[in-house]
Amino acid sequence: MQATSMLDRIRSNSTFETHATGRILGVFVVLVTLASLISGGVFLQPNNLLNLGYQNIILLVVSLGQLLVILTGGIDLSVGAIHALCSVLIVLTQDYGLAGSLAVAAIASGLLGWINGLIVTYVRLPSFVVTLGIAQIAGSLATVISRGGTVYTGWGGAAIHPVLKAFYKQGLLGIPYPILFGLLVAGLFTLFFRTSFGHFMFAIGGNRRAAFLSGIPVRRIEMIAYILSAMIAGLSGALFVARVDLGDPQAGRWLALDSIAAVSIGGASLAGGTGTVLGTVLGVAILSVLNNIMNLVGVPPTLQPAVKGLVILLAVFLNSTRQRSS
Amino acid sequence: MTRADARTRSANWISRYNAPVALGILLVFGALVFDKFLTPLNLNAIAAQYAIIGFLALGQLLVILTEGIDLSQGSIVAFTSIVIATLMLDYPPGLAVAGGMIAATALGVVNGLLVSRTRIPAFIVTLGMLGIARGLALLISDANPISIEVDGFAVIGRGKVLGVPGSFLLFLAACLLIDWFLRTRRLGRHIYATGGSAENARLSGVNVRQVKLWVYTLSAFLTSIGAILWTSRLRSGSPIGASGYEFESIAAVIVGGGSLFGGAGTVLGTAAGVLIFGVINSCLNLAGISPYWQGTLKGILVLLAVALSQLRRSSGSNR
Repeated sequence: MQATSMLDRIRSNSTFETHATGRILGVFVVLVTLASLISGGVFLQPNNLLNLGYQNIILLVVSLGQLLVILTGGIDLSVGAIHALCSVLIVLTQDYGLAGSLAVAAIASGLLGWINGLIVTYVRLPSFVVTLGIAQIAGSLATVISRGGTVYTGWGGAAIHPVLKAFYKQGLLGIPYPILFGLLVAGLFTLFFRTSFGHFMFAIGGNRRAAFLSGIPVRRIEMIAYILSAMIAGLSGALFVARVDLGDPQAGRWLALDSIAAVSIGGASLAGGTGTVLGTVLGVAILSVLNNIMNLVGVPPTLQPAVKGLVILLAVFLNSTRQRSS
Repeated sequence: MTRADARTRSANWISRYNAPVALGILLVFGALVFDKFLTPLNLNAIAAQYAIIGFLALGQLLVILTEGIDLSQGSIVAFTSIVIATLMLDYPPGLAVAGGMIAATALGVVNGLLVSRTRIPAFIVTLGMLGIARGLALLISDANPISIEVDGFAVIGRGKVLGVPGSFLLFLAACLLIDWFLRTRRLGRHIYATGGSAENARLSGVNVRQVKLWVYTLSAFLTSIGAILWTSRLRSGSPIGASGYEFESIAAVIVGGGSLFGGAGTVLGTAAGVLIFGVINSCLNLAGISPYWQGTLKGILVLLAVALSQLRRSSGSNR
């Protein structure tokens, strides 16, 4: 009885999501056409597309981490601050080699994610307050260790590792590393959602109590969602360092807002239980094309936070009305 | 039974007065440890600086009482300051200040309408507004601060009455007014009822939508008063400042005994919560601790306060 109803739920969910993804794809195609027309074809040139990819790899991986948390019905407002903290940490610990610095970032971000998860799952506090608190702590720690400014070398004076410096400039078989990396992460997430673990994540967001009663280790999976989201945000600090050759306590200032926008545009419900990797990738793509169009038509970059705010409200509003009608 | 009653009563007493008591302990601690703590200069600095956060916290209290949250306050402070500074270039100061208040309150109405008429969660609505208000401030000012040359304007945030900062007296007056409003006015009682249980309140004839519209509007209105004081102290409009102020106001409400699940929280507790952070801040400065650490401490304090209030809540419901 339980099994059939759950199967039905999953089946109806997947058709619902196919429709949603189709609609998002439609929006994306319209925007791309618009951008190509406005720019007179410049938009579609490989150089421009490559640039767009470079600019948005960080947002892509962080959004996929955010998706995990949103699937369980939570939200992670700490990704930006953790990203900034780790960008600073990675530069300052260059003395321990590349692997050492990445390990430090992984441990620091994993620890913060663990605290997020612990308070959300065991104390049952609203995730937005917990992650806002952790964001405050991580952001403040980033300014403490960087003494408020940008950092260029390790504590012992070591320069940024050449592999990091080369990451955005080289590639494999003609495909730049950042693009390969983005594809790899998206692929891993797709595989992850096909494991039982991934299915459990959807089940928790759909109905936490039912998931618990079906024997799903709800708390452990929620914890893992927060830890992964934080670690992805933290390790993507390495991408930031690779891109701009420095660590910055102000890095990722809009990352939380942007990643939530991307995930919501991608059709995920903030109530949890719905959302796809493809949708999130399209969400990031739509945001980046939108930015590109705004630049093309001369919208001042200062207005961009406002547009992002509007986009989030619109996407969440449309998702909520669609769910009501279905 | 009676013992349980007594326990609840003492628990209530503790939750009502623990913030003022903690403030008292902190004041004694500060006075004993730091020579410079009890000087008028130091106390006035705390009072003037935290009167600004105080106005935001009063607005946040109203919102949190209805089980909502307002994450847009910091951005609205920057937005208001930019509107005031821009209008001040061409219009008389009074008109510019009024214009800033009206513009900020309009954003609060948008927050309120979206929270009360749609199913978008409050934290997303106000997170969207955080982006929108900040973007508008950056757009109007072209991302540059706008200085204010009108001399009289600085008096609002820096002036003193009988040796006490005028802004702090204004904050105390606002506390008394809102306390009276929450205790005796119909809307005030409805705010508590909505937060206790929106469904029960609705069934008892409370217009929950209207209550929610009001609290977000009032939050933006009170935030705009804080913004006037802030702008006056800076003597300029700043499009990038005041970010994270919403966290300070949330922190003050929670430390002051407010519950994120609505229905609990008082003006007295909130005011004490604001001043607790003011005193801690001042002690850290006097001890020569880097201001960068203060965010860490504030974050930890808030998470602890929220966690404790939640643990108390769940142990209470088990009984």
